[in-house]
Amino acid sequence: MTKTYPKASRPSLDNVSVSIEKGEFVFFIGPSGSGKSTIIKLLLHEVSPNKGRVVVNSKDVTSMRSWKRPHFRRSIGCVFQDFRLLPNRTAYENVAFALEVIGKTKAVARRVVPEVLELVGLGGKEHRYPHELSGGEQQRVAVARAFVNRPLILLADEPTGNLDPDTSIEIMRLLDRINRTGTTVVMVTHDSNIVNQMRRRVIEIESGRIVRDQARGVYG
Amino acid sequence: MRVKYVLSEVLVGLWRNVTMTIAMIITMAVSLTMLGASGLMYRQVDDMKDLYYKNIQVSIFLDQEVSPEQRDALAAQLEGDPLVKESIYVNKDEAYKRFQEMFQDAPDLLSAVKADSLPESFRLTLNDPEQYKSIYDQYKDTEGVDEIVDQSRLLDKIFDILTAIQNIALAAAIVMAVAALLLVANTIQVAAYSKRREVAVMKLVGASNWFIQAPFVLEAVVAGLVGSLLGLVALIAAKYLLFDGSLQALQGLLSPVSWGDILFMFPLMAGAGALVSAVTAWVTLRFYLRV
Repeated sequence: MTKTYPKASRPSLDNVSVSIEKGEFVFFIGPSGSGKSTIIKLLLHEVSPNKGRVVVNSKDVTSMRSWKRPHFRRSIGCVFQDFRLLPNRTAYENVAFALEVIGKTKAVARRVVPEVLELVGLGGKEHRYPHELSGGEQQRVAVARAFVNRPLILLADEPTGNLDPDTSIEIMRLLDRINRTGTTVVMVTHDSNIVNQMRRRVIEIESGRIVRDQARGVYG
Repeated sequence: MRVKYVLSEVLVGLWRNVTMTIAMIITMAVSLTMLGASGLMYRQVDDMKDLYYKNIQVSIFLDQEVSPEQRDALAAQLEGDPLVKESIYVNKDEAYKRFQEMFQDAPDLLSAVKADSLPESFRLTLNDPEQYKSIYDQYKDTEGVDEIVDQSRLLDKIFDILTAIQNIALAAAIVMAVAALLLVANTIQVAAYSKRREVAVMKLVGASNWFIQAPFVLEAVVAGLVGSLLGLVALIAAKYLLFDGSLQALQGLLSPVSWGDILFMFPLMAGAGALVSAVTAWVTLRFYLRV
């Protein structure tokens, strides 16, 4: 597929074709502006390609009507570099919020949220506010929020970009654990350390084209 | 549970931005009061037209030196005229008696007018008061006729004034509605901005569009409804203070405004207030949230 943003002189993604299997763990790497973040936006149906198709969970996202998008997004979890937590809500409330706004009852939240917070290693810190948590812990809350609805796919856009190396590795362990539950993980990063340690599939993008697609790859 | 969530969001939203909320409610209330007032006047004018035109009369005044033959001829002609429903002859004595009754509070005027100086006349009730013009054309040149006076001319002037007041109220309602509309749009923008993080997360995790928009739209609708309630209170106060108070002297002239009329206006005001707010909020969100 090809994606050109309005006013851009060259396509952000140029004739890119990628297939990711269910349960895979994939890194997209490349320099800034290479088009890796566009992949996330396409997968979320935040933007549409100019040419080609995006198929997620065997649904053609390209032709999806915008009113169907909310429901589609419930099958995808998302983590970002800047965490995107609600500052006036505790860790528990942040995760519960994601459930409640898609119509889950408080009873469901009471059952599921402590479970997932335990899973990400935040047991006992449910009632801390984001500003009372370290960066790594905040990102764990974000991962918990993305995973609480048991999505089929977890998208991570430079999730370790704001974290120190040790904390980054902890977050990666967490993502790895989530991947082992059968969740497909797609992660955009330019953290060479992490890519080299994880030894997973690496797709390198440069100027909108795939220049490398390697199983068990390194940052290179 | 979702309903409870949305409602609590609405209250929190209204309270968070309470100065704007008050401004929104006040403009809405003024606009809806004007709308209600002009609606009331519309009904009022209709009622009054029915009442007055039914009793309206055309007077044909006769020359001072009219001969009995001329008078009888005219009476016969009027009797046979299909436009005329009823024709009453008023002679000089009766005319003077009526004059005395009408001006009993002005003895100076009474003493200045002699019984003899008032003209004889025919008082006509028409089948259709609008047909005044043809009566006028038909009889203005008849022998012995001095002048033809149509009361509806006077009434038309009164109704013109009432209609003008009604139009002014309507214009004021529209101008205030525009102000209210802009305030709603602004309030919704501020509310959306102050909740931008929540909205971003909601979009991300796949909350449905109506769920994201409902609290904002309802915020505006609540303000519109509160505004219409205040408008109702203002109309009730106006009835107390104006119609039943300082304008009581005009009670005979203006047909009374009933409580029923005022209550009848409320659904109109509430509907207009809620609808305008909801549509404005929704359109604002389309541009501002792009959900």
